[in-house]
Amino acid sequence: MTSAPVPARTARRRAAERATRSAVSDVEWRRPRVRTFWRNVHLALLVLLVVWCIGPLLLLMKFAVTPTQDILSTPLAVFPHGMAWDNLSAAWNDVHVSRYFINSVILAGGSWVAQIVVATSAAYVLSVLRPAWAKYLNAGVLVTLFVPSVVLLVPLYLVIVNPPLIGTSLVDTYWGVWLPAGASAFNVVIVTRFFDNLPREVFEAARVDGAGPFRLFWSVVLPMSKPILGVVSVFAVIASWKDFLWPLLVLHNPNLQPLSVRLPSLQATTDMGVLMAALAIATLLPVVMFLIFQKTFLSGVGLGGAVKG
Amino acid sequence: MRSSRNTALAMAGVLSLGLLAACGQGGGQGAATTSAAPGDEKVTITVAGLLPGAEQDAVDALDKRVTEFEAKYPNITVEPQEYQWLATTFAANLAGGTLPTVFEIPVTDGKTLIENGQLADIDAQVKALPYADQFNDAVVANAKGADGKFYAVPAKSFYSVALHYNRNLFTQAGLDPDKPPTTWDEVRKDAKIIHDKTGVYGYGMMALDNAGGWQLTAAANSRGGVVQKTNADGTYTATLDDPAVAKHLEWLKALRWEDNSIYPDGTLGWAEINQAFGGGQLAMYTSGSDVYTALVQNQALTADWGYGLTAIPTENGGGALGGGTLAAVKVQATDAEKDAAVKWIDFWYLSKLLDEGQAVADAKINFGNGQAVGTPVLPIFSQEQWTTSMGWIKDYVNVPLKDMTGYTDKMFSQKLIGEPSASTQDTYALLFPIVQAVLSDQNANVDTLLAAANTQGQALLDQS
Amino acid sequence: MHSDDAARSGTRRSPGRPVQVELADPDGPVREARGAGGAPVTPARRHTPATWVRGGGLSSLVFALPAVFAFGLFAWLPIGRAFVMSFQKTNLFTSTWVGLDNFQHVFADPVLPIAVRNTLWFALLALVFGYPVPLIGAVLMNEVRRAKGLYSALAYLPVVVPPVVAVLLWKFFYDPRPTGVFNTILGWFGIGPVLWLQNAHIVMPSLVLEATWAAAGGTVIIYLAALTGVSGELYDAAEVDGASIWRKIWHVTLPQLRGILFVTLILQVIGTAQVFLEPYLFTGGGPNNATVTVLLLIYRYAFGNSLGGKYGEATALSLMLAVVLAVLSVVYFRLTRRWSTS
Repeated sequence: MTSAPVPARTARRRAAERATRSAVSDVEWRRPRVRTFWRNVHLALLVLLVVWCIGPLLLLMKFAVTPTQDILSTPLAVFPHGMAWDNLSAAWNDVHVSRYFINSVILAGGSWVAQIVVATSAAYVLSVLRPAWAKYLNAGVLVTLFVPSVVLLVPLYLVIVNPPLIGTSLVDTYWGVWLPAGASAFNVVIVTRFFDNLPREVFEAARVDGAGPFRLFWSVVLPMSKPILGVVSVFAVIASWKDFLWPLLVLHNPNLQPLSVRLPSLQATTDMGVLMAALAIATLLPVVMFLIFQKTFLSGVGLGGAVKG
Repeated sequence: MRSSRNTALAMAGVLSLGLLAACGQGGGQGAATTSAAPGDEKVTITVAGLLPGAEQDAVDALDKRVTEFEAKYPNITVEPQEYQWLATTFAANLAGGTLPTVFEIPVTDGKTLIENGQLADIDAQVKALPYADQFNDAVVANAKGADGKFYAVPAKSFYSVALHYNRNLFTQAGLDPDKPPTTWDEVRKDAKIIHDKTGVYGYGMMALDNAGGWQLTAAANSRGGVVQKTNADGTYTATLDDPAVAKHLEWLKALRWEDNSIYPDGTLGWAEINQAFGGGQLAMYTSGSDVYTALVQNQALTADWGYGLTAIPTENGGGALGGGTLAAVKVQATDAEKDAAVKWIDFWYLSKLLDEGQAVADAKINFGNGQAVGTPVLPIFSQEQWTTSMGWIKDYVNVPLKDMTGYTDKMFSQKLIGEPSASTQDTYALLFPIVQAVLSDQNANVDTLLAAANTQGQALLDQS
Repeated sequence: MHSDDAARSGTRRSPGRPVQVELADPDGPVREARGAGGAPVTPARRHTPATWVRGGGLSSLVFALPAVFAFGLFAWLPIGRAFVMSFQKTNLFTSTWVGLDNFQHVFADPVLPIAVRNTLWFALLALVFGYPVPLIGAVLMNEVRRAKGLYSALAYLPVVVPPVVAVLLWKFFYDPRPTGVFNTILGWFGIGPVLWLQNAHIVMPSLVLEATWAAAGGTVIIYLAALTGVSGELYDAAEVDGASIWRKIWHVTLPQLRGILFVTLILQVIGTAQVFLEPYLFTGGGPNNATVTVLLLIYRYAFGNSLGGKYGEATALSLMLAVVLAVLSVVYFRLTRRWSTS
């Protein structure tokens, strides 16, 4: 189906009306057949998304409050024998999900601090201070971006077991997870880019007022960087919450383990209903954070695509 | 990338950094024993305590025992640490120095750790104990080095593999729960009857990880075969293709594809099979004879649940695979620490087997927490000693011993076979995928799989 | 990345600013000095530690310290050690040089070809399931007129779910008994229970299905972001030429996305080549090694043994994988550069 050729003047006006547009133009949208077709497509897409993306999560929430027998024998039935809210309290208290939840929070907090400190200070050096050796630091950071993480796994583990400068083993300590988390080249790259785009006039003005590099960093650069710090923070917390292999290797003491490490080992010794409740609790925090900070998330993901492109 | 030259420089820098550091790190943690006059000076040791997440009552009990010990030896301070031996974490803990002074290892690891010089030489201290020569031969073999010296002490949980069964399901299927099967053919027959009559799978087999290889080895041992032979010159030969192994795999295959009476999931590990059993999803399985304790701890079994225990069926001169736990001392311990450590080992692990007062105190605490008291374990010392110590605690025994006679009647007379001495875990690792194959693939060729595994197994033994 | 000019001059001059000579500036009297034409002028001066400190050298070092510490200890050092360790046999206490032994052992391992095959199979399936679908989804979503955010949020939701939760949940869905969730659904259509994780032929697609569920949302968002960057004028021009909607999508949208499409393809391949979590948690590598991937094999080498793992073999295999991925990337970029410029 072809549309009639649009006069150049109208095309220019349209372009001005919507600076960014998609394949279907406004003109086409006004035509009923196009509109209905696309509306139906979008409706189907929406239904599909709901079933595919939310479906499993809804099931999880349902299982969390269903008695174990029902989960095992009729998982898709709607509460044939009522709900089992005590799954949640059993998970929180008896299985000590509360403790592992707190461990996850502690891990996320420390990792966040480590990442923010390393990323902002490194970006400050690379973007604002720019000493002569900055390009070596930059190259060193970028090299790690291109090395697949598999290479790091075993030797990093041995470094943790026997760290050169530190002396004592970092195994079974939270430092063993926090410190390596700081070495994120991706963070350094996006914060450096952000700093690069900050207006230099403000820095000059501050310097005129006698600000040294530390004042400049603390009172000028950081406050202006809230958007990028938001992105880094959100990703740091979520990445830490999801992290599995590294905490598995470093934290052997079950009392220190976060949810992601502990949940699989609970499988064999826990009632299915209670396990589901524990899984639901573990999902809650990231999902809630996502729903609140959606914009930051999605813009950060887009950024990620831009960096890799 | 702006400058590939800078990248190249960076990579060179990184590499040289790594080289320098790696070369300098060769030493790692060497063994350092300083000799100090033992006995009088104050010494503090950390010891393996309870599993993480243990009940508060048990923690209090341990603390009470610690107080008693410190009263007896005023110059020693004992600090218990939560402890759990895991295959994936032990080596790193050992190297990272985060193990307590006194720690526990499975019997199978004893030999290699001693050979690698990773356990302290405690020969002098152990020989000073009055019962140093009364250890049961079978349990002490892996605690001594090639030089005959003690590097570890048999401590607890000595078991032989046995057959666990659900008495209720037997009754429901019309079988006599007091007459559990005594041959593998009978096991197969009973499993089929149970599945046909009740719909519940009659048998289950571990296959998830090395535990699957462990159980296959146990089954092979019970059929008169072994998966490894020690040669006269000290080397080892892999015999994974022993006919007994193949026979048992064919037996599993028949249960799976002809009778459909075996739990079809190839992902049951040690804990998962306990869970399935406790949940009434399978009627029989083999595992260590002391598993009842874990069933009580994790599946909340009680004495009237319907648990039954009998000896593993044997044929062709086969026996039961046995294992246990040793206590060892960190290689970096000083002489004073080693003295204190062995005294603790004597007090905590062994005194309850030899001293009535200690035995009763220990039993009382477990009984009070609803934990299992009296689960049949193999004696670390002599059979008479075991019988005596069981007599001391008979008022506290809360396990259904009358339903375990199938095992307890035979546990001393049956032949005991040790786990493979060399590359034990690696051997198990070669075996369990074959169990998985048999359970998941109707056309699995047992002989080919075993032949391939055996070649690999031999290569491993030749390497080490 | 900042431009070469800025880097070379050391500071970025803000345009339009008059000359400033800040003698009172503790940072760097030298750097701020400018001649009349704006070109930097460096008066002759002695380089002493004092001037270095005042020139901002010390503060630069201080600021660089956290990054150097973190990257040095936890990135550069391990990378270097990886090379070294692959030629050594180490048991955490001592190391000995063994030349190419580790590599030989790895090549002689009969599980290696199985692991490579499984990894390729996983990557291929992930590409088939997970590459076109997000693209189609994003293109359709881009046309949404109202509540576009709802679609993005829905699509991205599975990505924020912790992978462990996703795997354990789907593991339950894949229960082989007739009462398993998926088997129940199949039962509605009269199809018998499927052994999702026990049948060696189906197990890998089962894993890929879950992996796609958990990851596709991120790709959708990346595509959506790229789609907003497609210049509207191109569409307008196409309309002038009388293109239909589908022609526009085919001839404008997709070609404009070419860059990002190429990048996501190679990134997806590199990512799935390192898959570990799904095989580890779903099946532990079974049944009979049908889901052992290269990463799982590395993990088994290093951490599978209570007596101290085969760290040398593990690092050797890691390096081999890294080299393969690097070669693949280079070849890929050469090919696509030719293709996208033609």
